[in-house]
Amino acid sequence: MAIIKAVTITILTFGAITMIIPFIWSIITALKSTENIFSHSAFWIQFPPDFSSFAEVWNRVPILRYAANTLKVALIVTAGQLLTSSMAGYAFAKLKFPGRDKLFLFYLATMMVPGTVLLIPNFVVMGFLGAVDTHWALILSAIGSTYGTFLMRQFFLTFPSELEDAAKLDGCNPLTFYWRILLPNAKPILTTLGLMAFQFIWNDFQWPLIVLNSESKRTLQVGLSYLTSEYYTDWNLLMASSIFTILPIIILFFIVQKQFVQSFKLSGLKG
Amino acid sequence: MDIALTLKKARKASTFSKTKTKEAIWGYLFITPNFLIVLVFTIFPVFFSLYMSTTDWNILSQPNFIGLENYQKILGDSIARQTLFNTFYFTVVSVPLNVAFTLVLAVLLNQKIRGITVFRTAYYLPVISASVAVSLMFMWILANNGLANQMLTSIGLQPVRWLTDPKIALNSVIGVTIWRGLGLNMIIFLAALQDIPHELIEAAAIDGANAVQRFIKVIVPLISPVIFFVTITSVIGSFQSFDLVYNMTKGGPGRATTVIGYYIWQQAFNYLHMGYGAALAYVVFAAILILTLIQWVLRKRWVYSEE
Repeated sequence: MAIIKAVTITILTFGAITMIIPFIWSIITALKSTENIFSHSAFWIQFPPDFSSFAEVWNRVPILRYAANTLKVALIVTAGQLLTSSMAGYAFAKLKFPGRDKLFLFYLATMMVPGTVLLIPNFVVMGFLGAVDTHWALILSAIGSTYGTFLMRQFFLTFPSELEDAAKLDGCNPLTFYWRILLPNAKPILTTLGLMAFQFIWNDFQWPLIVLNSESKRTLQVGLSYLTSEYYTDWNLLMASSIFTILPIIILFFIVQKQFVQSFKLSGLKG
Repeated sequence: MDIALTLKKARKASTFSKTKTKEAIWGYLFITPNFLIVLVFTIFPVFFSLYMSTTDWNILSQPNFIGLENYQKILGDSIARQTLFNTFYFTVVSVPLNVAFTLVLAVLLNQKIRGITVFRTAYYLPVISASVAVSLMFMWILANNGLANQMLTSIGLQPVRWLTDPKIALNSVIGVTIWRGLGLNMIIFLAALQDIPHELIEAAAIDGANAVQRFIKVIVPLISPVIFFVTITSVIGSFQSFDLVYNMTKGGPGRATTVIGYYIWQQAFNYLHMGYGAALAYVVFAAILILTLIQWVLRKRWVYSEE
């Protein structure tokens, strides 16, 4: 048993180091002065560290604007997705109406459609709506989610029907029941779905790359991607910019770690 | 007497159907916002895209119906053939490696070891990090004078042109993809492992099964439905990969790392061949459906008790 444990820890440590080294090395690089990037070996660490690459990125790149754009879109999408998904999930789970189960099956089927197929037609639809190169293009297509609906429905199905009957006797209509009783009792699943949506929008790249043109509208990821053609091999600046985009989501991760883990487990339901 | 009873029944039935209609109306109201978005941005696009794939539309001029010409063109397009081959290669190499690594990792992490959360967090970090930032980090690590080559030369080996050698570049992108994806599937396996009753594993141990035998004979069969699920979603994801290729290699050198997701983007949004791009996307759709179907049929051979 002791041998197994030792082998386990060795493998896990080796793996964990492989996972962490790229991050460490990007921090080490970001703290080097430009003239020291190529003149020293990779293992050399500059001391005292030079923070000027962070300052330079901060001053030369509208990183605050990119972050504000991303945050705005991510917050609106998260709120919208929580509202529409929980409403639809409630209807699919608890309200009876003709065609309900057929419609739900149809929803499940659409989850099989790969995103690649939707990119081109969605771009055209955004063109019809006049939403290309606006943040509406990022918001509209994301505020209704079949996956979120599925998740909320599964959760609401487990909701005790006694509460529902009691509420009905007290004269609650479905709207007041949904708003006053169902939502306050669904906080864990709402947090989980919210984190998933937020994280997805924060890190999304291909769709914003396609629909946004103006520099002032770029999200963090798109802005970061364009930097590669500007900074080319100024690795300290590129690493500093990467750290700027990763840091907020890592901080968020440590604050709500438990829910994050839950959201990834649940994303296993997808497909 | 009889009439009174019938009247009573009729009244009851009518109030019953009234509350029923009311509930149905509420149901439709609650679904409408979500359904409108899904209708406009998922259901309509699926059909619209199919129509687009039968036109020569390039945004600048009116679309003309050209039937199956785009699909015929794909058959004769040597770049499309190479990118499809690259995509298959990408999938065949990365998915089995990913599933094997993540399964072993999950089993190792599913033990009572001090500091286990530190390990789990370490394997997660790449998953929550944006693909663009990950690409930048690895472009620097795999640069000609980057960390990987400096490590090789420091132990006396030849440096490798990780991202610029056409024979190696695609493997490098696959490597980064696996590195980034470990944490996600790992956590799904971990959740499945925690559902296995302890008694089963202990019983196997009492019967004399060692750790490797317990893994192959007990654990793997028990979570085979989850392995099946993870394989399917990984294949689907792999067929759509774009971000790392776009940022790390732009599909190069030459076409060495152009996967189909990148080629579709290039056709549609660089060359504005919207119709051709839509046709290529439908080929991906068909490939995914066929692969999923094959796995579904094969699952009876190895997925444990799924009645």
